[in-house]
Amino acid sequence: MTSPSVYHRAQQNLQHKLQPGTVLALTTVAHPPAGFEKGARHIALIQLQDGSNVLAPLTTKKDVTIGQGVQPRLRLQQVNEQGLRIYDVSYEPGVLVPAKEVVDFPGYIVALSGPSGVGKSTVSELLTSAASDYVARVPIVTTRSQKTGDNDEYIYTSKTKFQEMLKRGEIIANTTIPSRSEQRLYGYRAADIEAIWLDGKIPVVVTEQQLLQGLANHFGRRSILSFGLLPPGKSRRAMLSQLLHRLRTRGRDTEASIADRMKNAENDLDFLKQKKELFDYIVVNEHLDTVIESLKKHVIAKNVYLENNS
Amino acid sequence: MDKAIYIAGTGMTRFGEWWDKGLKELMDEAMTAAIEQASCTALDIDTIVVANMLGEYTNQQAHLGAMAASLLPHHPPALRVESACASGAIALNTATALLESGRAETVLVLGVEKMTDVPTEVISAGLMGAADAEKDAPSGLTFPGIFGLIASRYMYEYGLTREELNEVSAKHHANAVQNSFAQFRTAIPAGKICQSPLVADPLHMLDCSPISDGAAACVLSTKFASSFRLAASQIATDTVSITDRETLTSFAATKEAAKNAFTEAEITKDDIAHVELHDCFSIAALLNVEDLGYAEPGQGIQLYTAETNCSFNKSGGLKACGHPVAATGVKQIIDATKQLQESGREYALTHNFGGACASCAIHIIEHIA
Repeated sequence: MTSPSVYHRAQQNLQHKLQPGTVLALTTVAHPPAGFEKGARHIALIQLQDGSNVLAPLTTKKDVTIGQGVQPRLRLQQVNEQGLRIYDVSYEPGVLVPAKEVVDFPGYIVALSGPSGVGKSTVSELLTSAASDYVARVPIVTTRSQKTGDNDEYIYTSKTKFQEMLKRGEIIANTTIPSRSEQRLYGYRAADIEAIWLDGKIPVVVTEQQLLQGLANHFGRRSILSFGLLPPGKSRRAMLSQLLHRLRTRGRDTEASIADRMKNAENDLDFLKQKKELFDYIVVNEHLDTVIESLKKHVIAKNVYLENNS
Repeated sequence: MDKAIYIAGTGMTRFGEWWDKGLKELMDEAMTAAIEQASCTALDIDTIVVANMLGEYTNQQAHLGAMAASLLPHHPPALRVESACASGAIALNTATALLESGRAETVLVLGVEKMTDVPTEVISAGLMGAADAEKDAPSGLTFPGIFGLIASRYMYEYGLTREELNEVSAKHHANAVQNSFAQFRTAIPAGKICQSPLVADPLHMLDCSPISDGAAACVLSTKFASSFRLAASQIATDTVSITDRETLTSFAATKEAAKNAFTEAEITKDDIAHVELHDCFSIAALLNVEDLGYAEPGQGIQLYTAETNCSFNKSGGLKACGHPVAATGVKQIIDATKQLQESGREYALTHNFGGACASCAIHIIEHIA
C-alpha cells in the first residue's frame, strides 16, 4: 500500500474499520513481506459490529484469544518512499465501558419548552387541571415584579435572595431573560420538584434552553419527559408572525416588551431545531384540546409504566 | 469429456534451488523430457499452454508463451495462463477446452516457476498477489499468515492439537524418500515439525511448502493414445479475500470442483486409488481431505494417522516435493500417472488450488488397462 492513490482509496474505508469487533482468527507473522516493518507482526481476522470482516494488525497479542472483543485504534503503519505517512486501523483488546450515570433516577419531570407566546403557560395550566391526579405545576422563582394576569405559578423574590438560594444550591436551574428595563432571573427549586414527587405526582415545568439544560444536569436527561411546543406555520416567518399575533391579543405585554419577547422567540425556535436530542416530542400548538389530549396520553402512559415497574 | 483426451507423455525437472538454470532452461528440460516420453514428436504439438505466476515479479520476464514456443523447431502457437498457485491445473483445463473443441489435437502444457532469484521477503510480497491486494495485503499478511489464521480457527473450532498437526508434514516427508524428483527426500520425525522456527503462528517452517524452482510438462492429445486418459477436468472459484468468506475451515471451491469432477468421470470418491492434493501448508491438507469428502469436518487428521485404502500425497506433496507454484498442478498429473502405473489401479485424482483456494482445479485420471 505504498502508492498514494492506493492509500487514498484505503482512506475511504478507514471510517468503516473504526468500529469494535470480535477476533475470528489470529496469527503472528514472523517475517512480514517487503515494505513492512521488520519483526513479528500480530494479525487477526476480525468480525466488525456490522457483520463484515477485516484483516488488520493487533497492537498486542497479549491476552488476545479467538472470540474476544477488540477496539479499533488509528496507528502509523509505514512511511513510504515518497515520505507519505500511512495510517491504518489496528485493533487492541478492551471492552467498552458505558459512562457511569452520576445521578440516580429520581422520577419524571414533564418539561414544556417553546418560544415566548407559543402557549407554554396555558398548556401547563390546562394540563395540570385536566390530569390533576397525575401532574402538578412547579412554581417558578423569579425576580420580576408581579403583573396583572399572573397566577399562582410564580414565587416573587428579590435579586439578592435569588442569588443566595442559587449559592446554597436550592435553585438547581436558572436563567436570565434580558429585557430593556431589567435583568430578570427565573429558576426552579429542587425542593419544589421533590415535594411533588413525594405527593406521588409528576412535576410540570415551563422551560427554555438554560432551565431545561439545568434540570437535565441536575436530575439527568433520563428524568425529563421533554416536549417542544411550536406555533403553527409552515415557515419560520409564519411561526413568528403567529407568535406576534398571540402576544398582542393576550394584551399582557407592552409593545417594547413584545419586541424583546420576539427576539427571544427567534432564539428559542433555533434551539428547538438545533438541540433535537433534548426533546422527546415536538408538538404543534394549533388546537389546544388536541395538544392537551396528546400530552395527557404521553404523561399518563409514562405514569402507568412507572407504577408497573416500581 | 466430449472426447477421449490422453496423457501422451510427461516430464519434469527435479524441484529445488536451481541457481544455474533460468526460466528458459527449466522449460526446455521439462518439455524435452515430456516429448521424449510421448508417443508423438515435437512437430505434432499444435499449441503450447504455459502456466506461470510470478515471471514479471521474480524474473522480469513476461511473454512466456512465445518463449516456450521458441524452444520447439516449428514455433507452434502458444499462450500463458495465470491463476496463482493453481496456474498449472488451470492450464490443463484450458488445454482440455482446446482439445475438446477440436481447435487442437495435441497440446503441450508446461508449468514453470523460478523463485529463488529474489530474497524471501520479495517472494512473500509477490505471492500475496494471490490474495486481495486492497483487503488482505495492507495488514502485512503473508500466505503463511493466511494459513496461520486458518489453522488457528481450525484448532479453535475442532480442537486439533499442535502434536496432531505434526503428523501431516511428517507423513509427506516420509513419502518423499522414494521420490527422486522431490526437493527434500529426508524423513522428519513428527516431533521435529513444531521445533522448527515459527513462521506464522501456529505454523512452523516445516508446516510450509518451500520456495522452489522447477518445471513440469505433459502432452495431452486426442490423436495419440496412451494408457492414461483424463476422465475429468473441472475448475471452480471462490472469493479472493478471506474476509469475504462464510467460513475459514472449509474451501467451497474444492467441494464444487470435486462434485463436478466425480459427475464428469461418473465415479465416486471410493473409486479413487491415489490422491495428490494441494498441501501448500500442513493445515491445507486437512481441509482438502475433508472438502474432497474423505473425512468429516474436523476429522481430516485421522487419514494421516491410520491406514487408508487410498493414498494421499504419495509423492511427498508440495511440502516435500517443493512448490514452484505454477509447475505444481502439472507435476501432480505426472505423479498420479506414476502411482497408477505402479499400483495397476484404475483412478487417481489431483487437486490443485490458488491463493486460499480462490481457484481450484481437480483432474481425474483413468488408467486404461
